[in-house]
Amino acid sequence: MADLRNAVIVGSNRIPFGKVGGAYASASNIDMLTAAIDGLAARFGLAGERLGEVGAGAVLKHSRDFNLTREAVLSSALHPATPAYDVQQACATSLTAAVQLSNRIRVGQLDVAVAGGVDSASDSPVAVSDRLRRTLIRLNAAKTPLDKAKTLAHVRPSDLTPEVPKAAERRTGLNMGQHQALTTAQWGITREAQDELAAASHHNLAAAWDSGFFDDLVTPYLGLTRDQPLRPDTSVDKLAKLRPVFGDGPDASMTAGNSTPLSDGAATVLLAEEGWARSRNLPVLARIVDAETAAVDYVLGNEGLLMAPVHATARLLGRTGLALQDFDYYEIHEAFAATVLCTLAAWESADYCRDVLGLDAPLGSIDRAKLNVHGSSLAAGHPFAATGARILGSLAKMLAQRGSGSRGLISVCAAGGQGLVAIVEAC
Amino acid sequence: MSEVVVLDGMPVAAAQYARALSPRRRPPLAEGLPDRVVNLLHHRCEVADVAAYDRVCGFDLTDELPSTWLHVLTFPLQLTLMTAEDFPLAPLGMVHVSNTITQLRPTLIGEPLELRVRAEGPRAHRRGVLVDLVSEALVAGERVWEGRSSYLSRTARLDGGEDSRWSSLSRPSEDGKSGPIRDDERSRQARPAEGEEGSRQARPAETPMPTAGLWRLPSDLGRRYAAVSGDANPIHLNPLAAKAFGLPRTIAHGMWTHAHALAVFQPRLPDAYTVSVKFAKPVLLPSTVRFAAAQTEDGFAAQLTNRAADKVLFVMDVSAR
Repeated sequence: MADLRNAVIVGSNRIPFGKVGGAYASASNIDMLTAAIDGLAARFGLAGERLGEVGAGAVLKHSRDFNLTREAVLSSALHPATPAYDVQQACATSLTAAVQLSNRIRVGQLDVAVAGGVDSASDSPVAVSDRLRRTLIRLNAAKTPLDKAKTLAHVRPSDLTPEVPKAAERRTGLNMGQHQALTTAQWGITREAQDELAAASHHNLAAAWDSGFFDDLVTPYLGLTRDQPLRPDTSVDKLAKLRPVFGDGPDASMTAGNSTPLSDGAATVLLAEEGWARSRNLPVLARIVDAETAAVDYVLGNEGLLMAPVHATARLLGRTGLALQDFDYYEIHEAFAATVLCTLAAWESADYCRDVLGLDAPLGSIDRAKLNVHGSSLAAGHPFAATGARILGSLAKMLAQRGSGSRGLISVCAAGGQGLVAIVEAC
Repeated sequence: MSEVVVLDGMPVAAAQYARALSPRRRPPLAEGLPDRVVNLLHHRCEVADVAAYDRVCGFDLTDELPSTWLHVLTFPLQLTLMTAEDFPLAPLGMVHVSNTITQLRPTLIGEPLELRVRAEGPRAHRRGVLVDLVSEALVAGERVWEGRSSYLSRTARLDGGEDSRWSSLSRPSEDGKSGPIRDDERSRQARPAEGEEGSRQARPAETPMPTAGLWRLPSDLGRRYAAVSGDANPIHLNPLAAKAFGLPRTIAHGMWTHAHALAVFQPRLPDAYTVSVKFAKPVLLPSTVRFAAAQTEDGFAAQLTNRAADKVLFVMDVSAR
C-alpha cells in the first residue's frame, strides 16, 4: 500500500438537469455528455489535451451507443487520442467510474481521468418486440427474395407494438417505486416525514443556486441555467396535497412530490494524480478514501431493493474504523424521500444492525443538518447515471470549503438491489 | 399386466384437442380407467424449442431442462390416454387442480429421453371425479423425473364418493338451466376456491409471505404459452371458448403459472427436488397478480394472489430431496 499515489478530485462540471420532455427533449446522451465534458475542459484548460482515460455511461442506452463515451470524447474539445470506456452500474454508474479511475490513478496506470454519467428519459431507447426482433434477424440472414418474403409473412400486427423501457425489476416485475413502497411500509416511514425531506431538498438546492454555489460546478446548456425540476416555492403543505402514486391501500405515502422526477442531464468529475494537478496549478479539492459496493437478495422479498447502501456502509465503516458520526457531510441519494428515511432508520435500528448487518451496536443517528445540505435528487432531478458524479463533484467542493481533513459519506442506491458507498476527504 | 402403447413420435396436442371436441359415447366410469401405459421411446429436445419455452416462462436458458418442460413433453402422451375411445371421462372441461413434479437429477437438453404416462384413479372428489396422470422420464433406463397431474372432471360422479351436498348441482335447477356452466357458477358462489384443497387454501397464509413480485399478465399470454408448449386448450386462447366453460374470459395455463413461479427460484433449486402446486383459482387474462415467496426448512414456498392479496390463486412448495 505504501507505493500508492494520491488521486485527487480536481473539480467537476455538469449541465443543469432538465425535466423529461423539457429543455433537453431534442438532445441525445452523446450530446449531453459532450456538453458536460466540454464545460469541464473549458474550466480546467483541457482543450486539446490527451487525458489518460474517460470512463462514463448511461443507464437508458441505445444499442447503437455501445461506445457512448468514446463518441462523446470524439465530439468534445479533448484530444481525439483520449481513450474512453463505457461503464454501467445503474444509478451508481458515474460514482463507480470515479472509484475505478481514482484507483487506476493511485496504482500509477493513469495521471488524469474523467468520470461521468448521462441519461435521457426524453430520448429513451424504444425497442421492437422480441418476436419482431427475432424475425428481423432471420430476415437479415435470408438469402433469396422468396425467403425474405416468407420470413416477413411471420410478422403479426401485435409484433409491431414498441417496447418502452420500464423501471421495473426484471425478476419481480415491481418498479422501483413499488419496491420502495414495500420497504417504506416495512419501516413505517410517514408521509409527513417524506414531504418534509422533499421540501428541504428543494429549499436547500434553491439556496445553493442563489448563493452561487454552482457557479463553478455547472455550465448552462441549451438555454437552461438552473435545474429544471427545482421548485423553490414548494412547501410541506403543497406536497401534502399530492396523491400517492406508489404502494397500495390507505397507507400509501409516496407521491410524485417525494419521489425523484424522470430527468435528463450529464455530469463529470476530473480526477488526477496530486502532483499532476499541482504542477498545473489546478485545484486539489478532495480524494476518494475508500468505497464499498453491496448487493442484497431482494428477489424473495427478504430485503428492500434499495437497502444495499446500508449494508455497504456497515462494511465500509468496519473496514476503515470510522464511526458513522465521524463525517461533516452526508450525501444520501434521494431516489425517493423514503429511501433516505429508511436508510437513516436502518442505521439507528439496534435490531436491524444486529440481526441483518451483524453489528454489535447500531450505526446510530446523524446530525440531520449535515444531510444533503445543498439539496439532492428530489429537487435537482435524477438522470440516473449522472447522479453519482453530481454528488461527488458537489461534495468535493463542500469539503474543500470546509477545510483539510473534513470528511463526507456518499450513499447511492442502484437498481438490481445494489448500492455504492464512498468516503471522501478534503485534501 | 398393463397394455403398452408405443408411440412412433411425439403426438401433436392441437390435433388431439380437435379429436376431443367430437362427441362420442364413453364407457361407464364404474369400469375404471384403461390399464395402459403410453410410451415414447426416443425423444430429443431441440435447443430452440427449450429456449422459446424459457423465454415465455421466465427461465434462463441453461444446459439443464426446466423440470416443468418435462411435463410439457409428457402432456401429449397424457392427451393420448385421455382422448382414447375407451377413456371414460371427457378431457375438455377438466380442471388441472394440482401437480407434483420430482426431479431426481437434472436432465440435460441433449439427453435422449424415454417418456411413459399412465392414468390412475378415478377417485371421488367433492366436486366431481379426479384422475391422476402419472408420468416418468428416463435416460438410458434411469428414472430422472416423475410427474403427477391431477385433473378434475366436474360433470362426472363416482358412486359412493359423491358429496351429497353438491349432488344437486348437476341436476336441472329451477330456471331449467343445467350443465357444467351452471354448476361452476353455483359452486364459485358457494365456495371460496375451486381447487382440490380450495377451501383450505382460499385465504392467504397466516404469516404473510413478503411480496416478491407483481406480474402483469398480458391478454395474449395463453396464445404465447400455447405456441411454445403445444397446449392449445381453447380456454386459454379464445374468450368465447372460455365463456363456454363458465369462465368470464381466457385464463392462463396453470402450467405457465407453475413454470413462471419456479423460474423465480431457478438459480437456487437443488439438483433433486419435489415441487408441488395447487391451482386454487383460475388466473384470468389479462390481469395483475401478486407473487409472494418465503424460504422454508428444506426449500421454498410461494403463492400467487390477486393484487389486493386477499384471494389465493396458486400455491407452490419446493422441497429438496
